[in-house]
Amino acid sequence: MTQTTDTPMVELKGVKKRFGDLEVLKGIDLRVDRGRIISIIGPSGSGKSTLLRSVNNLEVIDEGSILLDGMQVNRPDLKGLAYERHINHIRQNMGMVFQHFNLFPHLSTLENVTLAPRKLKGMNASGARELGMELLERVGLADKAQAYPSSLSGGQKQRVAIARALAMQPKVMLFDEATSALDPELVEEVNLVMKGLAEEHMTMLIVTHEMTFARDVSDWAMFMDGGVVVEANTPENLFSHPDQERTQHFLRKHLGAQA
Amino acid sequence: MEFDFSPVIDYLPTLLQGVGVTLLIGLAVTVMSVIGGQIVAVISLYTRKVVSWPLRFFIWLFMTTPLLLQLYFLYFGIGEWILIPAIVVGVLGLGFHYMAYNADIFIATIRSVSSGQYEASRSLGFGHLATLFYVILPQAFYRALPQLSNNMIIMVKDISVLSAIGIGEMVYVSQYAISVTFRPFEFYITIAVIYYLINLMMEAGQSWIERRAAYRR
Repeated sequence: MTQTTDTPMVELKGVKKRFGDLEVLKGIDLRVDRGRIISIIGPSGSGKSTLLRSVNNLEVIDEGSILLDGMQVNRPDLKGLAYERHINHIRQNMGMVFQHFNLFPHLSTLENVTLAPRKLKGMNASGARELGMELLERVGLADKAQAYPSSLSGGQKQRVAIARALAMQPKVMLFDEATSALDPELVEEVNLVMKGLAEEHMTMLIVTHEMTFARDVSDWAMFMDGGVVVEANTPENLFSHPDQERTQHFLRKHLGAQA
Repeated sequence: MEFDFSPVIDYLPTLLQGVGVTLLIGLAVTVMSVIGGQIVAVISLYTRKVVSWPLRFFIWLFMTTPLLLQLYFLYFGIGEWILIPAIVVGVLGLGFHYMAYNADIFIATIRSVSSGQYEASRSLGFGHLATLFYVILPQAFYRALPQLSNNMIIMVKDISVLSAIGIGEMVYVSQYAISVTFRPFEFYITIAVIYYLINLMMEAGQSWIERRAAYRR
């Protein structure tokens, strides 16, 4: 069910989320057009990860609505199996990359990538293998196809995780602090893969602590704090001339001399 | 006293038959208790209390009462109403007993698989059951292997308890041979050596499996 080109790829309207008494998202609105790359920055506890996880319903929101290419993601009206079917279908259209990679340790690199297309799309073994090798090639790890995750470096693991998410040919990719758990010297190889995706006009929502990367790669940047979007602007403006004092303060801390 | 192993040689075919019975029972109980243990673990972790609590009660019951008592109960107790062949009672009794122990291990290892694994699988679009089947259980199984193989090594020795209900495993056939030849030491030593060799083989198998499983954890 692909909509016309002006339907936003992802749209959030008045999204609210509470953990107990704590309101972590206090009414977020966001529109991501297809092919656009949005970076979300902010201090820990600002709600940025929760926001990203809400997009594919790993966190179930309390109020508001989330749409993927015109399809409603959050469906409080659906229960049990009907909900499972709905959310599995939605999630097959979104790729998610986690801070701690979460590769399946019992499967080889290639099997990690091909598991979902084989089991969920019924792709045959040779077709899945071809797709898997193509994706591993793309992230520069074709030579590690038979290796197990335990033998890979953090950067390699994350590149495999990106390939795994791409294997379902998602409409949008969600990155939840994809480089935060990596040693500094391994960040660049992951950033390069993400830049490659950006050049191919993949729609991306990126939660990150990498300010320079966010500035270079994204079309739009959002600063979140305390469950609200404090400021959103083009990356040039947000990073160089932030309007809000909280944004200025945060960027001074994280960019140091650059800000 | 002096040892005379010639009666052992005479009764070697009988002893080997006992070894065969022990090994076959061991195989059957391994298959039953490993597969059953996983099923019991999954049911007791993921179903409503109406289902999971009685199951946990049975696990607890099998783990807190002696194997011999369980076998007598099945064979002589239930045997009051239905006559079940001893070999079936033996395999089922031992199978249930170790199913309880293995389920206990699987419950722990399933819980030890991180929630990130569950989320990664769900985010790809796998449902709850598919996630369990393709992602959680295989990892739980690899993690359970060291303790599982320990249990199975103990289990093989427990097969000797089945002699109490007349199953012709190693100890039972040697008892028979001793009653004819009056050479208990020679037979018991032989049986002990055979047990030792079986254990040695199982330990070799265990470390082979361990090596293959290590990099998949």
